[in-house]
This record gives sequence, structure tokens and C-alpha cells, in this order.
Amino acid sequence: MLDFILLYLDPGTGSLIVQAIIAGFLALAFYFKMAKNAVTDWVLGLFGKKRTTEEELTNDESTQ
Amino acid sequence: MKALNSSFRDPSGFVFQQDNQIFRVVNNSYRDNYDSLMSKLYPVLTQAKLLIPHTEIDFDTTKNTHQYKLLQAEKIPFISYPYEWSFSQYQDAALSTLAIQKKALQQDMTLKDASAYNIQFHKGKAIFIDTLSFEKYEEGSPWLAYGQFCRHFLAPLALMSYHDPRMGAMMRDYIDGIPLDLASRLLPFRSRFRVPLFLHIHLHASSQKRHANSENHTAKSNRKISRAAMMGLIDSLENGIKKLRLKTNTTEWGAYYEETILSDDYLAKKQRLVSGFLENTNAKLTWDLGANDGTFSRLAAQRAYTISFDIDHLAVEYNYLKIKEKKEKNILPLLLDLTNPSPAIGWNNEERNSVFKREKPDLILALALVHHLAISNNVPLHKLAAFFAELTSQLIIEFVPKSDPRVRTLLATREDIFPDYTQVGFEAAFNKYFTIKNQQKIEGTDRILYLMAQK
Repeated sequence: MLDFILLYLDPGTGSLIVQAIIAGFLALAFYFKMAKNAVTDWVLGLFGKKRTTEEELTNDESTQ
Repeated sequence: MKALNSSFRDPSGFVFQQDNQIFRVVNNSYRDNYDSLMSKLYPVLTQAKLLIPHTEIDFDTTKNTHQYKLLQAEKIPFISYPYEWSFSQYQDAALSTLAIQKKALQQDMTLKDASAYNIQFHKGKAIFIDTLSFEKYEEGSPWLAYGQFCRHFLAPLALMSYHDPRMGAMMRDYIDGIPLDLASRLLPFRSRFRVPLFLHIHLHASSQKRHANSENHTAKSNRKISRAAMMGLIDSLENGIKKLRLKTNTTEWGAYYEETILSDDYLAKKQRLVSGFLENTNAKLTWDLGANDGTFSRLAAQRAYTISFDIDHLAVEYNYLKIKEKKEKNILPLLLDLTNPSPAIGWNNEERNSVFKREKPDLILALALVHHLAISNNVPLHKLAAFFAELTSQLIIEFVPKSDPRVRTLLATREDIFPDYTQVGFEAAFNKYFTIKNQQKIEGTDRILYLMAQK
């Protein structure tokens, strides 16, 4: 009876497959974000300003 | 050198404790990954205070041929577990894990584990403690810890946000995180309209179900995940978690100090008395039990690292937000129900220690607490005294007598079955274990504050 369903189910495979399924969408979202950042940087650059990156925010916090 | 009970899964090494210090053995099998971590990523992560620092210790390699390095890690003063964190603590733990994964990918490494137990709170911040969780990243490979991240972080946070912060307590039952099929069923339908929750919980859960027992899944699961998709995955998880909010409404204790019938004057007097008593104590670790928003923990924290325990989620949340705002490093707020404290859980019931089997305090503050345990929870005074004596050598404790309006409220709807609940009964019970060093009535009330030391 124990040789039955639940004990042999593998949730790991589903976690890998879902990544493969949504990979295209996620890559697109990532490129879109990069493009948006590039445009923001260019526009801010026209006014001599700079976008605060997440990196800088983290570093600010860690140096305080 | 015996490995800690929580350190048995990873063949890369193990953790042990000696002379109150924490050491980590790195096995030869992890050599390449360790060298790769230390060359670039370690300095980045330790500088950003995201990874616990360590020093390499000399050891006899001829005796331990399969061991590569011996590390001494900076010690965390008090280990806490996810079911003891408030919403924002949990959220920060999740965001720190993702920040680490992002920095790791930039250095061609990746996290092979994303367990919530790998995060601890240290100096007011969430920090990663498992130095051996990193491995080299090969472009195209999926994130092996993705499922674990969703179970350990995204699912509990989404449930806490959509339903109630007390859902975090489910982590006590599910040591490897909340199963995604369960999270998906418990979350309301509208959660599907949030892209990250739709992808990483609902779709993820149905993918797990669909492929759980299929044998010809290798082609799909071997599909390559580009670096951009990997960065997109982390971004998406990060956005999903950042957008989760705690629904706040006032709870039993949330605004205790602000709305209390006990005035600012009472608080000021009590603070003066507690400060005076604290001067006559000597502690490395203090526990403030029933700390509420940590008003008195902050007095204790001027002298020793203080754990600020409370049963109320919003009190712990408020306390943590204050710590972040003021960048306080000496206080750790945690959730604890003293009538049902965090038990030992996991393999052989010893993987995660019960709260009383972790670092013990040298001083306990139990202010306006005893009446809740003795009257609301029917714990006899002699049992309470024995409980404190088991834990600490020094005690600052407040006795709230039956004449107090708060106790009158507790007794209003129930029969008074507490004939011994008097000042005399209280002192007699505690005298068995403790010497009363000082006692002061809090002016304007019938409450009495005691400083006690174990006999």
C-alpha cells in the first residue's frame, strides 16, 4: 500500500519545468527593464542627473 | 567535534560549536566552489553585510585528509526561526536572499539552497549564514533552489499578506516550507491576478502536480534557462515580494502603550525604576518577555544584547520597524507565545531547537506579564517561579495584584480560583529559588517591581 502515489511524487521536476515554461516571458521582462533603465539614464543624463541604482542603495545602507 | 544537529544534509561540510564559538569544516569536495566564492563573491557579500564573515583557522591536514578548510564564523548572539519573525522581518529575509542570488550571478555563482533557516538577524539586519550554499553557475542551468525559495519565502509571505500575519506560524509544521499546492489552495482567487504570484505559486503548483509522476519529463526539464531569464526570474520574485503588504488593524496589544489607561506618568516612573534595577545587574544576554513594542527592551539593550519577545504580531512588527528606522543593533524582536513556546522540530525532533534550548539569558525582564500567565492561563505561581529559575539567574519582575484594573478586567468574566494570587503568595513562591534584592511599588498603582537573583 505504501508503494502508492504520494511517497514517490517529485515536486522538484515541476519546479524545473515551470522555469523552462516561463523563461521566455521572464527574459523579455528583464530586457524591457534594462531598456527602460537605459532610457531613464539617457533622459536624466540630459539634465545632468544620475539614477540611483539598487546597488548604490545597498552600499549606502552598509556603510552607515 | 560533533556537528550541530541542524548540520547534516550538505556533504560540502558541517558546523560545530566549541568553547562557545562557531566553526565550519569545509570538505575537499567543496574546494573548487569555496575557492571561487572567496576569490570574488565573498568580499562583495560581506561588505554589503549580506553574508556572515569568517576567518580561516590553521588545522592539521594530515589527520583530516578529506577536509579542506576550517573556518571560524562570526557568532550570531541568538538563533531565530522563520515562525518567530514578523512580516517585515520575513520580507527582509526574503529580499536579502534574492539580493545575494543577484550578486552571486554577477560573479558566476548561484545559491544551491534558499532555505529561510539560512537567514539570521544580526546587528539589526537579515544576514545569510550558510557559507557553503554557493556553487558555480553554468549559463543555461535552472535555479535549483527556486522551488525551495517559493516554499520558504514567497508562499508564507503571500499567505501572511492576503490573509493574516499569523499564517507565518505554518512554517512550524512545514519545516521545508509551505507546500505550493496548499498555498495555492489557501490563497484567494484574486491573488492570480498578480503576475509573480500567478507564476511562482499557482502555475508552479500545477506544474509540480502535472509532472510529479511523469517519467518522460527529462526533455522539458533539461531545457536551457538563459542568463536574462534567470535575472528576470529573480527580478520577478523580488517585485512580487516587495509588493506584498501587511494588512494592519489594531490588535489586542498593538497600541497598548498609546491607548492604555495607564498614563505616560506611569510609564516614566516604571522606566526610572527599571533603569535603576538594571544598573545592579550584569548580563550578556537579556530576554524581555512580553516586551510589546520594546520600550523596556531598549533600556536593557543599552547594557546587553536583548531579545524582545511578544505574542502579538503587530507589536513585534512595530518593534522591528523601529529598529530599522533607528538602526539599532542590540535588539532582536521575536514572536513567542509563552503558553505554547517554539518547540524542537525537524529530524529526530532536534534539527531546530526549542526556544529554551538555544542561548539562555542571564537576565529576564517580565514586566506586566505574570497576571497573564497566572490568571489567563492558570499557571500556579510556584510553577512560574520554577520556570524563571530554570532559565535565568537574574530577574526583574512586576507583580500586578488583583486590585489592579487590568487584573479586574481579566477576572470580570470568570470565577476567581486564584486564592494564592497575592503579594505574599507571589513572594513565597519566588523565595524558593530567588533572593529579593530590591522591591519598589510603582507610585500611583498597586503594582510592585522586584529585582531578584537566584539563590
